[in-house]
Amino acid sequence: MDEVRRLSAEVVVIGGGSTGCGVARDAAMRGFSTILVERADLAQGTSGRFHGLLHSGARYAVSDPESATECCVENRILKRIQPDAIEPTGGWFVALEGDGPDYSDKFLRAMERNGLPHEEVRLALARRLEPRLTRRAVQVISVDDAAVDGWALALGTVRSALEYGARVLRYTEVKGIGLTGGRTSTVHCRDRRSGEDFVIEAGFIINAAGPWVGRVATLLGIEDVTVEPAQGIMVAVSQRLVSRVLNRLRYPGDGDIMVPAQTVSIIGTTDAPASDPDRLVMPRDKIQQMLDCGEALVPGFRQARGLHCWVGARPLIRDDSVKPAETRKMRRGMFIFDHASRDGVEGMLSVAGGKLTTYRLMAQEVVDQMCLKLGSPRRCRTASEPVPPPPTDHFVAGQVTKPGAGAEAPEIEQPDWPISPAGRQRPTGPRHITDRLAEAESTRADDQIICECELVSRRALVSALRRHPDDSLDDLRRRLRIGMGPCQGGFCAARSAGIACQEDAWSAGQAVAALRLFLRNRWIGQQPLVYGELLKQIALDNWMLYGTLGLEQLPASQEVVL
Amino acid sequence: MSEVVVIGAGLGGLMAACELAGAGLPVRLISQGEGSLSLSNGTVDLLGYAPDLVWDPLSRINQIAPPHPYQVIGSDNVRRAVAALTSHLPDGYLVGQASQNQLVPTALGAWRPTALLPASLAPPQPKDQSRWLIVGFDRVKDFYPKLVAANLSRTKIPGGGRVTAIPVRIDLPDNPGLPGGDVSAMTVARAFDQPDFAAAVGRQLAQAAGQAEADAIGVPAVLGTAGHDAWRQVSQAAGRPVFEIGLVPPSPPGFRLNQLLLARARQLGVRLATGARVTGFQANQGRIVQLTTDAAGHGQTYEPTAVVYFPGGFESGAIAMDSTYNLAETLFDLPLAGLAPVSQLISPSYSPNQTIFQVGVQTDKAMRPLTDGGEPVYTNLYAGGGLLAGAIRWTEQSGEGIVLGSAMAAVRGLLDGIGQDLEPKLAAAHGRRTQLSSSHPGQTPNWTDGAP
Ligand SMILES: Cc1cc2nc3c(=O)[nH]c(=O)nc-3n(C[C@H](O)[C@H](O)[C@H](O)COP(=O)(O)OP(=O)(O)OC[C@H]3O[C@@H](n4cnc5c(N)ncnc54)[C@H](O)[C@@H]3O)c2cc1C
Ligand SMILES: Cc1cc2nc3c(=O)[nH]c(=O)nc-3n(C[C@H](O)[C@H](O)[C@H](O)COP(=O)(O)OP(=O)(O)OC[C@H]3O[C@@H](n4cnc5c(N)ncnc54)[C@H](O)[C@@H]3O)c2cc1C
Repeated sequence: MDEVRRLSAEVVVIGGGSTGCGVARDAAMRGFSTILVERADLAQGTSGRFHGLLHSGARYAVSDPESATECCVENRILKRIQPDAIEPTGGWFVALEGDGPDYSDKFLRAMERNGLPHEEVRLALARRLEPRLTRRAVQVISVDDAAVDGWALALGTVRSALEYGARVLRYTEVKGIGLTGGRTSTVHCRDRRSGEDFVIEAGFIINAAGPWVGRVATLLGIEDVTVEPAQGIMVAVSQRLVSRVLNRLRYPGDGDIMVPAQTVSIIGTTDAPASDPDRLVMPRDKIQQMLDCGEALVPGFRQARGLHCWVGARPLIRDDSVKPAETRKMRRGMFIFDHASRDGVEGMLSVAGGKLTTYRLMAQEVVDQMCLKLGSPRRCRTASEPVPPPPTDHFVAGQVTKPGAGAEAPEIEQPDWPISPAGRQRPTGPRHITDRLAEAESTRADDQIICECELVSRRALVSALRRHPDDSLDDLRRRLRIGMGPCQGGFCAARSAGIACQEDAWSAGQAVAALRLFLRNRWIGQQPLVYGELLKQIALDNWMLYGTLGLEQLPASQEVVL
Repeated sequence: MSEVVVIGAGLGGLMAACELAGAGLPVRLISQGEGSLSLSNGTVDLLGYAPDLVWDPLSRINQIAPPHPYQVIGSDNVRRAVAALTSHLPDGYLVGQASQNQLVPTALGAWRPTALLPASLAPPQPKDQSRWLIVGFDRVKDFYPKLVAANLSRTKIPGGGRVTAIPVRIDLPDNPGLPGGDVSAMTVARAFDQPDFAAAVGRQLAQAAGQAEADAIGVPAVLGTAGHDAWRQVSQAAGRPVFEIGLVPPSPPGFRLNQLLLARARQLGVRLATGARVTGFQANQGRIVQLTTDAAGHGQTYEPTAVVYFPGGFESGAIAMDSTYNLAETLFDLPLAGLAPVSQLISPSYSPNQTIFQVGVQTDKAMRPLTDGGEPVYTNLYAGGGLLAGAIRWTEQSGEGIVLGSAMAAVRGLLDGIGQDLEPKLAAAHGRRTQLSSSHPGQTPNWTDGAP
């Protein structure tokens, strides 16, 4: 048998969600050679299945003031360092008739006490600013909530990590962790696209596998990091029915937040135990519950075109086997496990919980701890240095060759923009949904829009394909928003497959397989919402894909697509 | 004035309107939009899969497994409908026959069976070793020649052999009609309406085909917006058979067919009310006596003697489900067959054949929607097309066949006066049908002066 490939790094980060990406950036900025390993696409776990809210802290003002303050601080930091991923919509807490004054009084007192910015909005003004808001609103308080794009956040963060020399292995699953004398020494990986196994020699491991963090711990024989996933469902409908985040002003419960994100409005969420973060379900009664919640805030919500729903898992950690002193429980839901003191295994920390909003802080704290353990204290700079914008349509594809072609690793993600000696590109400022329209209009003469719903240009697609020819249509969707709009891929999915083939990125067999996989995956989040306009759309899409294009008749491909 | 109202200007509504007007009835055609014909790619699919590939749709239609719209419609109506459609179009416009499917390539490079099709879309019969040049145009977004050619080349022709398809992409000549790179297929088609442009592209094709030693040339279906003139010009300049490959909407071949049938309907004296949506109706003693439309603010009422209803199906919203998963036919609230709890209609696993798409209306032989008890809901309401229960048309490739066959059945039902409610005048008009359908179009008497 062939010798397996070996890589090495001072720090190996497991998990490419917001936390892992943040850890990789932080570690790389502190000068550690770092490899990030993600079993799927970046932000395909919880960080791509969340609500899209950049918390101001107001939601936790009453229940958990410490978290509230953390969110408030991080909210400001992220707006400063990562404006490309954030739309500063502002947010409201709205009391409805019958909600009672109890909570509202507590809320205002807690906001005062913790110094969280807020302001009462007169009802008449509120109605003018948000004409769709229910007439049952009786009190409105504005706070600093914002909308955040989890993919843009993770990709921008990773881009920064890459600039500092980190390496990123996507579609690579950690299958085992090797110990040498009571200390972690190797991370055993499998490239899920090529099937190749390889090994990374690791100076230190940070396990940031979100709801899977317990499973990764079991690779070390540690069985008692018990994660009990709690699942939450979100429903997106077409168009921004509101322009700010709307929260119910009442004790936090199901379906009490609506977030305007990109071109959609998202209502959520629920909270129910799940047995397996890989098998989350979206029962129709829960979807109905969410639609009712949307209707309560914005009458007519049920008439809006349902687009997509998804479900994510919060990692609730049950850890009664260890004494409080051994597990450092960091405020609400944020955990760092020190496996040395807890389990007698040196060389690995696990981090989970928290919020997407506090990803930077979580990264800072876990990397601080690692530095202590390595006896090499280095200062964290992530709060002050801007994160470059996520790669989008605009840069020229760099020197990158096909992934896997590099001598070193199965797939090493490269910096995909020209790095100027003078330093990093600065953030371009907050992004707005109208930006794409302006861009599309300015390039209309020589480029084509291939996704009319989300205004994705052919050039953007081609440059993404050049960088990552192995990407699936879903990967491209997460980067470019192809297939996210009202047509849900009816037109643009086949078009994208055609372009990938035309540009020699994919064979015809791959293109067909990718198209089929895309449709199958999209269906997961469509099927509970197949009513109204979406039902009509699915019928039209079927006419095009099967009636006109004969997709079903094409031979299956032998090739593996992920 | 008494008239038959046809609702829906898709293939079914247009056909029914032409036939009824041809039979001497006064006909009003009300439609909200353009009708789905201009969204289709112009082929006449009768039955492609049942579930295996069908070669002779006409005879297979009579053996179809129930429940299926074809059971009620029957092959005789399909045969008559195809003949009627052909007669309403210029000579030679459609090629093929109802009893023989032929294979056409799709814009993904799959082989697709169809019975009749516009001559411009008919490739030479694909044979082993055929060398086809597959040409993409820079401006056309829904046609990528490498994908089409590679799929055609790697797919066995049902029936045997493989074609060799060679992809090439050419830049269309500069044209004031084509500003910028981002234009729709219809805009490109309009440029082909200019003979110079068509001939210039034809010469480009000749050169490319010569280099590739190809014996036929497939291009995206953008050769003109009216008739087949542009196609002829391109073919002539190319010096080889040129065939169009249908596109996803908006597809010029569907648009052309739509224009031809609309013109024909007008010629036969059909009164068109487009941009109007029928939003309400009144019934009396089991008959529909009044229809109300809502057209850009000002509504109108009609008092039809009979109603022919071809509104499409799920894709047009004629059958719709609300957010609490209640399914309904949206205008007349007709009883639906195939209803079940939503969990049985929509499966969590992906398939184009979701059971929900079998839900629809059931009718008697005259195409009158039936109650659960098997009685006509309204004795003067005839319906068909996408509304009918029991078929997944995109998978069967049976869309046009069901529409056309049911339109013919509805026309015959109406004319035959099943259920005595038809006025004697209508029945009398039917007596002149044979005579009229052979008479020259344009001289069709209208209802008042044609009445005996
Ligand atoms: C329903 C819901 C709504 C939420 N809404 C908000 C909100 O509005 N605002 C907010 O701030 N926060 C919100 N959160 C919280 C936030 O989403 C999470 O805190 C955050 O996304 C967690 O990121 P993570 O990186 O820790 O985990 P994840 O994003 O889950 O990342 C873990 C990664 O590890 C990978 N992985 C697992 N096992 C392996 C392995 N063996 N090898 C390699 N990789 C592996 C997974 O594929 C995954 O990508 C919400 C959470 C839920 C569940
Ligand atoms: C803020 C926000 C805004 C959004 N806006 C839109 C929008 O405008 N339009 C729209 O259509 N959608 C929108 N979505 C939903 C989005 O398209 C995805 O459906 C959602 O993020 C689920 O992620 P996915 O695409 O990675 O996975 P899916 O499409 O659900 O599945 C892809 C793959 O992931 C696997 N998978 C399933 N469950 C898990 C799991 N728990 N962990 C890891 N892998 C899993 C599946 O098996 C499948 O192979 C939005 C989501 C968010 C968070």
